[in-house]
Amino acid sequence: MADRVVVTIGTRKGVFVAEAPKTRRGFKLRGPSGPGVPVYSTLVDTRGKPRIYASSCNPFFGMKILCSTDLGKSFKETKSAPAFPKDDGRALANIWSLEMGDAKNELWCGVEPASLFRSRDGGDSWEMVPGISNHEHARKWEPGAGGLCLHTIVRDGNRVHLGISTGGHYLSEDGGQTFRASNKGVGAGFAPDPYPEFGQCVHKIARHPAAPGRLYMQNHGGWADWTGPGGPRPNIGVLRSDDYGRSWRSIAAGLPTDFGFPIVVHPKDPDTVYVLPLEPGTRTCPGGAPAVWRSENGGGTWSRLGRGLPKKEAYFTVLRDGMTIDGLTNPAVYFGTTTGQLWVGRDGGEKFDLLFDSLPPIHNVKVAVV
Amino acid sequence: MGSAEPRVTIHLTAPLRPYAGGASRLEIEASTLKAALQTLERSQAALYRNICDETGALRRHLNVYVNADNIRDLGGLETTLAAGDVLTFLPAVSGG
Repeated sequence: MADRVVVTIGTRKGVFVAEAPKTRRGFKLRGPSGPGVPVYSTLVDTRGKPRIYASSCNPFFGMKILCSTDLGKSFKETKSAPAFPKDDGRALANIWSLEMGDAKNELWCGVEPASLFRSRDGGDSWEMVPGISNHEHARKWEPGAGGLCLHTIVRDGNRVHLGISTGGHYLSEDGGQTFRASNKGVGAGFAPDPYPEFGQCVHKIARHPAAPGRLYMQNHGGWADWTGPGGPRPNIGVLRSDDYGRSWRSIAAGLPTDFGFPIVVHPKDPDTVYVLPLEPGTRTCPGGAPAVWRSENGGGTWSRLGRGLPKKEAYFTVLRDGMTIDGLTNPAVYFGTTTGQLWVGRDGGEKFDLLFDSLPPIHNVKVAVV
Repeated sequence: MGSAEPRVTIHLTAPLRPYAGGASRLEIEASTLKAALQTLERSQAALYRNICDETGALRRHLNVYVNADNIRDLGGLETTLAAGDVLTFLPAVSGG
């Protein structure tokens, strides 16, 4: 019986795991695990006996995948990490995304430089997915501030949505064999063409399993005052698709800024979506007063959720994988900051409490009920 | 007839030992650093992946020493090795 909430926290200095009963009171922290190097991706694999995976992005000795079969009490390296073929010319620079596949022990992994890998044995061996890794656009993508990363993998049967910064949204409808750029309505503020075929700086894509045709995107916004070629591009930062990602439209009206990194969907309601707006220039909380913003009507209107959060002088950033939501009936929203705080917003984010206030800078937060 | 290649020692710092079965030293025969790495690629694949990336390049934040000298002050990958030389792979002092 699933009776524990497990939160994985990927930080600049390794991975932490927090565990609590379903009441989400009394979280106990374990870690840091790993060799003290950045962890950009974690995954709680809930198929069968739970496993926790973490990328270990070692600048000295290369990328590794860590796996725990005891809910984070110990981690071991898998037998290998993703690697480009020797004659490819590219070398793995970071591991940004780990997701479960359909088959038991199947994993998908997004990396930098933007490419996709797949394991069929729980991470012990990996094969490159050529349909996107060798896509005709792949050598034309350019790195965003975080590097040229394939950071988002959203799967729905044969449909696979990928988020690439800066490449945009790519869609496969044949299980990952082939991909096409699918960015109609996705704006870019850093190129003369405001709506290019590809090359957008997508920050995160999310969807609800019960509404697979509906997707939400946090794109690189903050271009309302742009005075360069093509003119201002307001509200290109928060988007929605109702046709499986073939086209997108803005839902940013009503937010304090359309810039941000994460976007999260309520586990029970496809109309409820959360973002965490940031000042586009500094990428910190607007006015020093952080807040999660929630829409309960698919982005039609937004409301501010700031109860319990600092009211002033808080200038952290929450990165693209820094916010998540658990799957309980009355879910809690969790977010981790670049200043090392982990916040929980129980009752759907109505009130936030600080769980841990002095962790290393947080890259990634995932949660599962196990 | 014996091998013409000089016998050198690879000193493994603690983070690298798990990838060489726990060994702190390896003895190999190689006349250049490049040849030493090729030998490691064949005989110690897990260790090699920690030292070189998929393209065969030395990892960017590793310093390689032959005895007390950094290979960047010698001949890089073409640095010649003599019998008894000690190779050491050390993380560059960086980060925070």
